[in-house]
Amino acid sequence: MMVASNDFGTTKVAFDKVNKFYGPFQALRDVTLSVTTGEVVVLIGASGSGKSTLIRCVNGLETFHSGSLVVEGFSMPTIKDLEFGGGEKALRQIRRGVGMVFQQFNLFPHKTVMENIALAPMRVRGKSREEAQATAMRLLERVGLRDHAQKYPGMLSGGQQQRVAIARSLAMEPHVMLFDEPTSALDPELVGEVLDVMRELRTEGMTMMIVTHEMAFAREVADRVIYMDKGAIVEEGPPAQIFDKPISDRTRTFLSRVLKH
Amino acid sequence: MIIATLHSWARRNLFANLIDSILSILIVTALGWLLTVFLRWVIWDAYWQRIYESLRLFLVGQFPEDQTWRAWVALALLCTAVGAVLLPWSRRLGVAIWLIACGAAVFVLVPPGLDRWGGLLLSIMLTVVVSTASLPLGILFAFGRSSRNPSLRACCTGYIEVMRSVPLILVVYWIWITVPLFMPEVSISSLARGMIGYTVFNAAYVAEYVRSGLQAVPRGQREAARSLGMSNWTISTEIVLPQALRVVQPALVGNVLDVFNGATLVFIIGLMDFLRAGQLILVDPAASGQTNEVYLFMFAVYFVIGSAITFGSRRMEAHMHRSTR
Repeated sequence: MMVASNDFGTTKVAFDKVNKFYGPFQALRDVTLSVTTGEVVVLIGASGSGKSTLIRCVNGLETFHSGSLVVEGFSMPTIKDLEFGGGEKALRQIRRGVGMVFQQFNLFPHKTVMENIALAPMRVRGKSREEAQATAMRLLERVGLRDHAQKYPGMLSGGQQQRVAIARSLAMEPHVMLFDEPTSALDPELVGEVLDVMRELRTEGMTMMIVTHEMAFAREVADRVIYMDKGAIVEEGPPAQIFDKPISDRTRTFLSRVLKH
Repeated sequence: MIIATLHSWARRNLFANLIDSILSILIVTALGWLLTVFLRWVIWDAYWQRIYESLRLFLVGQFPEDQTWRAWVALALLCTAVGAVLLPWSRRLGVAIWLIACGAAVFVLVPPGLDRWGGLLLSIMLTVVVSTASLPLGILFAFGRSSRNPSLRACCTGYIEVMRSVPLILVVYWIWITVPLFMPEVSISSLARGMIGYTVFNAAYVAEYVRSGLQAVPRGQREAARSLGMSNWTISTEIVLPQALRVVQPALVGNVLDVFNGATLVFIIGLMDFLRAGQLILVDPAASGQTNEVYLFMFAVYFVIGSAITFGSRRMEAHMHRSTR
């Protein structure tokens, strides 16, 4: 907990020299990065470059071996801490404030859209059924799916499912939202509706970390773009700088490959 | 019209070419002959009076005659229980009614004494009690076996593997003998001990089915639940287990059928189940001529109950799928 009190409130997420290994393979190399309140950070890079691993660390779905990660003033336990049975409490505290949207939506297929959204507020935040369902209805309206509350996820299109997933995360009133390739599993014509919801979140001032391959979207919404390669942050800066005059050769090569077609 | 359809069907399916035609003629002739012989025996030669006279022994064994109403009440309760889980309404309500109705059925049947249960009554009650008790036990062992705690995991794995590598009769017999050794001051009836032994045995099989279901739930489901801050308990009971049970539901109902058919083996501890009742009837010299009738009757009863269970399983599966699509 090496956080100066004045840092809390402006810095939401702070990585300091974080390293992670899968056996001999190093997934994260000395990652140092901080995200401030209301900032939208977009991570780009080839697959396997560690960007998904990085944002999955923020809510503890991935653990790391060394370095420190502080999320909203709570120190994320390392692998060692968890092995000795510590850190569970900090982990739960962090997860309460951090929402996540996955590439494969991961909606609960045996529960209706309404139940998907209302379950966690009831079970984790202890809200009453009426309150949780009212909130869920409001969120569904916001993502344009009011009429689908009683359907099962399997009856919805991919774009609709992803919007439900966003609503489900928002129901926990998170301070930080993580998006792990939210549009990669969608048919091209459904991408827009999901990006629209994310744009709206940005205007409301949500702190977001987004992994995406939608470069045009990244340029449009990002306050800061981070290019990663081989588990390390190669270059970061405002979108205009990264996309128009990148400093690193690796960034340039990557962008020329993804922007060509 | 119908004849024309039949004709073209036969043409396409039975007599499409020379080999098909020869096979069809041979098989239809053989089946027809067998059926004729069989039906002639069933209708004219068989002495069904014997079954009718022994019906009581077949159905309830030594259950006191003036208490027969209890068996009828139990039957009604069991039908309610089965109906509750077959109807496509709230699963929770269905399970609750099942538990209450089955519990009530046991309660109604107990007063004359567990030792008096016999015949089909015993076979069915044994199946109901063992299947119902095995499920929660099996779920616990399945979670235990996939637990992160090594000692718990080792215990559960050991239990499951030991039970699965020994025969049912051995476990039932062993529990029957050892329970009185550990608790000499209380007398527990043979049937209760048999139920315990059978449950202990069957729970290991249920655990393996459930575990395969737990593994079938995609990792993303747990991750999504964890990212919403849910506790391990909520994740297990609300997210993972319901999906796992859906996957293995056909296997679990198949297991009920296995329990019903395996229930014949409890004769080893002196219980008179349906099959044993039939054998006892044949011991009577007066009935020894009716072996075929007795066995055919038992065959038919087992077949009807077995196929009813399979049919019920398919219905449950169908409306379970409807609710997730």
